[in-house]
Amino acid sequence: MSLDQALQTFFAESRELLQQMEEMLLFLESSPEDNEAINAVFRAAHTIKGSAGMFGLDFIVKFTHTVENLLDKVRDGEVRITSDLVAELLQCRDHIEDLVEHAHGGGEELAADKHSRGEQLGTSLLRFFPGALVKSAEKAAPRQVTEAAAKLESSGGGEVASDTWHISLRFGRDVLRQGMDPLSFIRYLATLGEITSLTTLPDALPGAEEMDAESCYLGFEISFRSAADKKTIEDVFEFVRDDCEIHILPPGSKLAEFVALIKSLPEEEALLGEILVASGALTQNELEQGLKNQSQVDAPLGEILVEQHCVPQPVVDAALEKQKQGKDAKSQEARFVRVHADKLDELINLVGELVIAGASANLLARRTKDGAMMEATSVVSGLVEEIRDGALKLRMVEIGETFSRFQRVVRDVSKELGKDIGLEISGADTELDKTVVEKIGDPLMHLVRNSMDHGIEVAELRLQRGKPAKGTLQLNAFHDSGSIVIEVSDDGGGLSRERILRKALERGLIAEGQNLSDSEVFNLIFEPGFSTAEQVTNLSGRGVGMDVVRRNIQALRGTVDIDSEEGVGTTTRIRLPLTLAIIDGFLVGVSASSFVIPLDMVVECIELSEADRRAAAERNYISLRGQVLPYLRLRDLFDVSGTVARRENVVVVQYAGQKVGLVVDELLGEFQTVIKPLGRVFRNLKGIAGSTILGTGEVALILDVQSMIRMVSGKAEKGLVA
Amino acid sequence: MPIRVEQENGQVRLYPEGEMSIYCAAELKDALIAGMQGGAEIEINLSGVSEMDTAGFQLLLLAKREAAKQGKPLRLVAHSPATLDVLDLYNMGSYFGDPVFLTRQGGAA
Amino acid sequence: MAKTILIVDDSASMRQLVAITLRAAGYDLIEACDGVDALAKIRGRKVHLIISDVNMPNMDGITFVTEVKKIPEFKFVPVIMLTTEVQESKKQAGQAAGAKAWVVKPFQPAQMLGAVSKLIMP
Repeated sequence: MSLDQALQTFFAESRELLQQMEEMLLFLESSPEDNEAINAVFRAAHTIKGSAGMFGLDFIVKFTHTVENLLDKVRDGEVRITSDLVAELLQCRDHIEDLVEHAHGGGEELAADKHSRGEQLGTSLLRFFPGALVKSAEKAAPRQVTEAAAKLESSGGGEVASDTWHISLRFGRDVLRQGMDPLSFIRYLATLGEITSLTTLPDALPGAEEMDAESCYLGFEISFRSAADKKTIEDVFEFVRDDCEIHILPPGSKLAEFVALIKSLPEEEALLGEILVASGALTQNELEQGLKNQSQVDAPLGEILVEQHCVPQPVVDAALEKQKQGKDAKSQEARFVRVHADKLDELINLVGELVIAGASANLLARRTKDGAMMEATSVVSGLVEEIRDGALKLRMVEIGETFSRFQRVVRDVSKELGKDIGLEISGADTELDKTVVEKIGDPLMHLVRNSMDHGIEVAELRLQRGKPAKGTLQLNAFHDSGSIVIEVSDDGGGLSRERILRKALERGLIAEGQNLSDSEVFNLIFEPGFSTAEQVTNLSGRGVGMDVVRRNIQALRGTVDIDSEEGVGTTTRIRLPLTLAIIDGFLVGVSASSFVIPLDMVVECIELSEADRRAAAERNYISLRGQVLPYLRLRDLFDVSGTVARRENVVVVQYAGQKVGLVVDELLGEFQTVIKPLGRVFRNLKGIAGSTILGTGEVALILDVQSMIRMVSGKAEKGLVA
Repeated sequence: MPIRVEQENGQVRLYPEGEMSIYCAAELKDALIAGMQGGAEIEINLSGVSEMDTAGFQLLLLAKREAAKQGKPLRLVAHSPATLDVLDLYNMGSYFGDPVFLTRQGGAA
Repeated sequence: MAKTILIVDDSASMRQLVAITLRAAGYDLIEACDGVDALAKIRGRKVHLIISDVNMPNMDGITFVTEVKKIPEFKFVPVIMLTTEVQESKKQAGQAAGAKAWVVKPFQPAQMLGAVSKLIMP
């Protein structure tokens, strides 16, 4: 663990906290009285400030300090949450984010614009502070600063010849119980200079009957030679200052000051005088304080003790109550471990190799026909499978965090557009691979903005159509046969089939008289250069079209399609694989070549009947229990050499509701495999998603079923239309 | 931590062991005071004391004073490093006046 | 034998920085992210000093100190509370719970080492 790593932790943590802060602020807008949320916002600012300070990121500390102060007032109920305040705090949050990113970029000096932005926000915050309390925090500075000056003034006539400090200590009764041992302070003092003499005063120790073994009864007179300043020496005892009688006389103090000290101490004057013969001096302030405190040495301390015994009970009760409230949600947090994403990737990679090695061992074992060996390898395979699943699960994250980021987007954009739109989130706990989650943000953003911009109508129109004035946008996620489905729905105007067709014709995307289903028509909007927006706003007119959305999703081996009903609303459905690393495959053979089909897309396997074989020569579909099944012959598609086998099989695959038959020679069974991405040269190959190495060392191609289905259905339609 | 007590010819030897700290100070105090009743001369053997804090140290002070009240001589012997360290820091060697301690202070131990 | 310090803070970066500083000075560290976590981690261990944040989710610092002081083995462990200057009221509650040493955030690592050294040497 290095300092730099700790700094990286700080950046990651700050981002998380800022995320929480945003969520909670948005939540507060509707529930301004929620104390948990107020606390969470405060804690975020507080933690960022605290950590930033330790890393010396003073510009973050400075700005966050003001925000924290205001939030503290909110916590105390002095300042009430208003939507105005929330808006202001959101801006402050953004500025803190800016500052953190600036620090992350290695920036030392803050650019002038950022600086003035901070000043501006800081000033703007002031109006929320109650009355004159604005500066209170800044005033809480350390009490003594100019001890050096005081020391100079005190030198004059009547000095004692000693060059040492004199320290008188009378420890409070309770210090030991509080874990404060005089031994520790004296040991620490010795690190700052030389203790030239130390006298322990045991006189306060009572008889055996009254003595409480856990109380402290000791006092000390110490002569101390050191170059340290008075503040440093005083601070040695800072933690016991409140409970102890402490007098520190600098070197060269006046005799009168010693006399005063002697008078102020509880021991007999003669004894003290004897001890003190060697040292010190005293400032005017201390002298006064010493005399004033003289009468308080014993009695008030006792009172304080009583007080201290009384207070805990209500504190405990209140705290326990609070603990109960927060427990359920928060106790899970404590069980998390933060791991670097690279380490996880490395683990997954290794597990991938392990899967391959395991498969290889399995094949070899089967070849030996040794029962015990086969059993052993199958146990290993089972375990490897579990490890693989476990490793992959490590990378699974809930989509909720990505979704909830849109609360802010929807809020901001709807204000900008002057539309009243609410966001509803469901399926937030649906998990998917972290790498997928990271890449889905942009396409989602585009879809959400598109829905708000073009989908949901303005309030008047909505009322005319008999809908509630407030529009609703929904984000939903769920698992469906090895994929995750993410839906963006709106209750807006829906897509107009006619308008899309007209536009597509104009753009030459389709031919006149082409017979298209609704879904095909709607999906035209994902074609490059297609835009139906009659009014291009600054949001959707950003130059990124729906075609880019589709391309991004396809790059993740996903698909996107649209359901829409005119006047009722539109649902855009994104379907993505759960993970990009490993798939359960179904191994098939064509002549000497092997191919892997993702298992979750395989519906069934049938033998290609003689009748179908003959019929297939003339048409491009076969009959599956009376239904038309378009098919592809892998041998033809990939131009595999060798003679056609005597028997062929059909693997029926399904994706997004469409079925296609893949004709192969041999069915070799299930096979887990790690996807090795194809090299750049092969990027454009249609129908192949990647490659993998078989246990035998041979390469097998992983089929991209999705693109094959597209290939076949396109062909089939053309065939049907023609 | 209980204190082992040995009695011989009117002399009582006390062997506190392990930590002499605030965590067991109350218990130790009672054991020490009780143990001291067992003879006219008292010896506290500190060889088994692995840790000592101020609470533990105060018990030695108390024992010394109670012994004086009862007119019994009290010696601290076989100081362990942990106990010597505390007596040294508090500069209380001469208060107890035990030879082992003095020789060490002189640098000869 | 090195002295063991428990650091309780919900900020991982804060914990790490404190831990780096104190380990370099020769202390052993136990890290916990809140009171509940801390209570679980110190079970059966010897702890010479506790450093705890006040503001933490789940179980805040003051409740934690109150709770930990109820356990006989930790009854007299010194506690350093981490706080900001705006929390005088918290400080009083913390003092009542038995936390006498307070270090104000933000602090430099050297300040923390100084505060720790006053209470226990490595």
